[in-house]
Amino acid sequence: MPGVSAVAPGKTELGCAWRFDADDYVVDLAMSPDGALVAAALGGGEVVCFATATGEVRWRAAAHAGSALAVAFSRDGILASSGQDGRARLFDARGEAIAELPGTGGWVDHVAWAPHGRLLATSSGRVLRLWTARGEPRLETEAHPSTVGGLAWRSDGREIATCSYGGVHLWTVETGARARHLAWKGSLVSIAWSPDDAVIACGSQDASVHFWRLSTGNDSEMRGYPFKPKALAWDGKATMLATAGDATVTVWAFEGKGPEGKPPKQLEGHLALCTALAFAPRSGQLASGADDMGILVWEPRRGTKPVRFAFLRDAITKLVWHPDGKRLVAADASGHVAMLTS
Amino acid sequence: MSSKIPVTVLTGFLGSGKTTLLNRILTEQHGKRIAVIENEFGEIGIDQALVIDADEEVFEMNNGCICCTVRGDLIRILGGLMKRRDKFDHVLVETTGLADPSPVAQTFFVDDEIASSFALDGIVTMVDAKHVSLHIEDSNECKEQIAFADVLVLNKADLASPAELDALEARVRSMNAMARMRRAVHAEIPIGDVLDVGGFDLDRALETKPTFLEPELPFEWAATFDLVEGSYTLVLEDGPDESMDVLFAPLVSGERVTARPVQDRAVRAWSAAKAWAAPSGSIPFDQVVTLDVRPPGTKRYALRVPKNGKVALYTEHLASEYGLRFEGPRGAIAPSWEKAFAPGHSHDDRVTSVGIRLERPLDRKKLDAWLSVLLREKGADIFRMKGILDIAGQNERFVFQGVHMLFDGRADKPWGDAERSSAIVFIGKNLDRAALTEGFERCQA
Repeated sequence: MPGVSAVAPGKTELGCAWRFDADDYVVDLAMSPDGALVAAALGGGEVVCFATATGEVRWRAAAHAGSALAVAFSRDGILASSGQDGRARLFDARGEAIAELPGTGGWVDHVAWAPHGRLLATSSGRVLRLWTARGEPRLETEAHPSTVGGLAWRSDGREIATCSYGGVHLWTVETGARARHLAWKGSLVSIAWSPDDAVIACGSQDASVHFWRLSTGNDSEMRGYPFKPKALAWDGKATMLATAGDATVTVWAFEGKGPEGKPPKQLEGHLALCTALAFAPRSGQLASGADDMGILVWEPRRGTKPVRFAFLRDAITKLVWHPDGKRLVAADASGHVAMLTS
Repeated sequence: MSSKIPVTVLTGFLGSGKTTLLNRILTEQHGKRIAVIENEFGEIGIDQALVIDADEEVFEMNNGCICCTVRGDLIRILGGLMKRRDKFDHVLVETTGLADPSPVAQTFFVDDEIASSFALDGIVTMVDAKHVSLHIEDSNECKEQIAFADVLVLNKADLASPAELDALEARVRSMNAMARMRRAVHAEIPIGDVLDVGGFDLDRALETKPTFLEPELPFEWAATFDLVEGSYTLVLEDGPDESMDVLFAPLVSGERVTARPVQDRAVRAWSAAKAWAAPSGSIPFDQVVTLDVRPPGTKRYALRVPKNGKVALYTEHLASEYGLRFEGPRGAIAPSWEKAFAPGHSHDDRVTSVGIRLERPLDRKKLDAWLSVLLREKGADIFRMKGILDIAGQNERFVFQGVHMLFDGRADKPWGDAERSSAIVFIGKNLDRAALTEGFERCQA
C-alpha cells in the first residue's frame, strides 16, 4: 500500500522505479561497478541483465543447466556466472560469451572478482581456482578439508580468503600457497573481509559469528544467535558488521576497541528470517531483506528503528545497492526484481 | 509451508543392495520426480532423475558432541535444490556403507532452513540376509543402521535358509521393534513400502507389531501343537545357556497362544514355583520347568499329555538356539503355529527397543521436564524415539520423533472417537526399561 497512514511515523515506503517479473527464483544479483547494469542469476539456469535506469532487459542467456548459483561483475564490466552444471561462464556487457570455465565435476558454488578486476576466483567443491579476465586458468589450490562455503578478496587482490569446515584459509595469489589458517572447529557458512583488510568475519553453522583480527590472529566468537547467521555485511568504513540469524539484525560496532564485551545493536522489524544484508556505499544506511517479503532500510548509527520499507511478493533473496547509494535492487524467490528508490 | 518435500535416506552395508533398490525406485513408473544425492559412485544413469554426487561432509556442531553432528553437504545441496525451476516430489539420499545414520537424520532437525522445506520421511536400511551375521554383533555402524531404520529390507533372502531368515528377523526385531520389515530378493519390494513412509507413522508400527509395547515377556518363543493323549519327547541340542525354562500348557479350543489372556496365564505360571528336570528326566504338564541343559550332546525330556487337544509350548530362548524338536510315537511333530518374541532382557550394550503405553493422559510440563533431563543424560544412547501422546486438555494427538538429543513434536489430528492413550518407543543401547517406564509414568497428569 502506498499510503503512509498505516505505518509508523518516520518510516516511509521506498519508491519503485521499475519492476520485472522473471518468474523464477532469483538466486543471486550483481550490480556493475559503474551502476549501469544489474544481473540476476535464476533457478532455471538463466542469467538476465537489466539496464539499471529503466529496467529494460539488455540480454538474457541460458547460462547453466540446472540452477545458476552466482553472478559477479568485474571492475571492467565482465560478468561471471556459475551454476549447478559444474561450470562458470564469462559474458561481456552485450551478453556475448567470452569463455566457459570448467569446474571439478560438482556445482560451482561461488564466483568472486578480485577488486582490481584482473582475476576471477571460482570454487567448486573443495577446490578454489583462479582465472584471468579472459578465462585462462591461473592456478588451482590444494583441496580444502570440506566444500568451500564462501570467498572474500583482500582489497589489493593479493590474497583471497576461503571458509569451510575447520576455519578460514588465506591463499597468496602469486604462488597459490596457503598463507594462513584461522582455525575454528565448526562449519563456516559465510565470509566477509572488512574493507580496511583488518578483520575477517564468518557465520558458523553452530549459530555463532566469528571474527579474526589479522594483526593478531585472535578469534572472537559472538554467540547467542538462534540459528546460523548466514547473512553478513560490512559498511564501507569497516566500522560496522551487520549479521542476521533470524528476524533480528545484529550490528557489531568496530570503532575503538571493537565489539567484544559490548552489547551489539539489535534491529527489530522483520517478522521472519533475514536473508540479505547490504550497506549503502558511504552513507552508512543498511538494507535488509527477509522471508517476510519485506525490505527495511536502517540507519544503525542513529537508531534501531527502520527508516524506510518496501515489499516484494515472496521471500527476499538478494539486495544490491547502486554505487550512488540512493537506490537498490531487490529480488525475491518467485522472480520479482525491483529498483527501489529513496 | 505445509508442503515439505519428503526425503528418504537409504543406508546399508556395501553389497546389501542399496544401488539395486535405488535403480528399482528410479526406473519404476511412479510418476514422481526424484532427486538423488549419492555418496558412492554407483552405476546410475537414469534420465528422469537428477543425480547429484556429494562427499559426505559430517560436521560437528558443538565442540565434538556426537549428538550434534550434521551433514554439511546435504544442507548445501538441499538448499540449492530448493531454488531450481524443476521441482522435485521426493529426495533420496544414499549413504556410504559404513555411515552412521545420525548426522543425516539430525540434519533435518538442526538446520532451520532445511527443516522449513524438507521432512525426513524415512530411513530405509538394506540388510544382506546372508552375510549380515558376520558383522551384526561387532559393528557399531551395522547396529546403528538397523536401529535407525523405519523400514528394514532383509535383502538376498533367497541366499539364506528359512531358519536363518527367522533367526535374523528375530535378532533384528529385538534391536528395532518399530521398523516395517520386508524380505526381498534382488531388492524387489513395492515402492510404496519404502517411499512416503511418514516419519510419524507410529500407528502403523503399533498395528503391525503391537507386542513390542507390551511388558517384558519371560519367554522368547511360543508354539501350538495338536496332540492326542500320550507320551512325547522334547529334544534339545547344545545351546547358549546352561538351563532353559519351558512351559507346556493346555489351550482351550479356539484360543490362540498369543491372545492376551492366554499369554498372561503363561506369564503368571513363570512367577509360580518352577520344577527342575535333568536330561532324560520328565517335564510336568502345566508348570514351568527349568531344564538342565549342561551335558553336551542331544538331550531328551519326557512329557505326558493327559488328554487330546491343543497344547501350547513356551520357551525361555528361541527354539532355533537349541535346535529344539518335539517328537511323538511316530516321529517329529511340527508345531501348527509358532511365534518368536523380542527378547525382553536388555542388560548389556545391545541395541534394543523399549515401548511403553499409558492409558492416563499426560501432563505437558512434567513430560517436557522428563524428556529434557532424559535426553541430556541419555541422548547419546537413545538413537531414535517416537511417540503419540495423549496430553491432558488437548483435543489433538501430540506426535513427536527424536534423534539422539534432538526432537521435534507437534499437535497432530484430533483424537475424535479414537481411544485416547499414549505410546512412546525408544531405540538405543543400554536402555533401562524399568527406569524409562517409571519416568514416563510419572508424567501422568
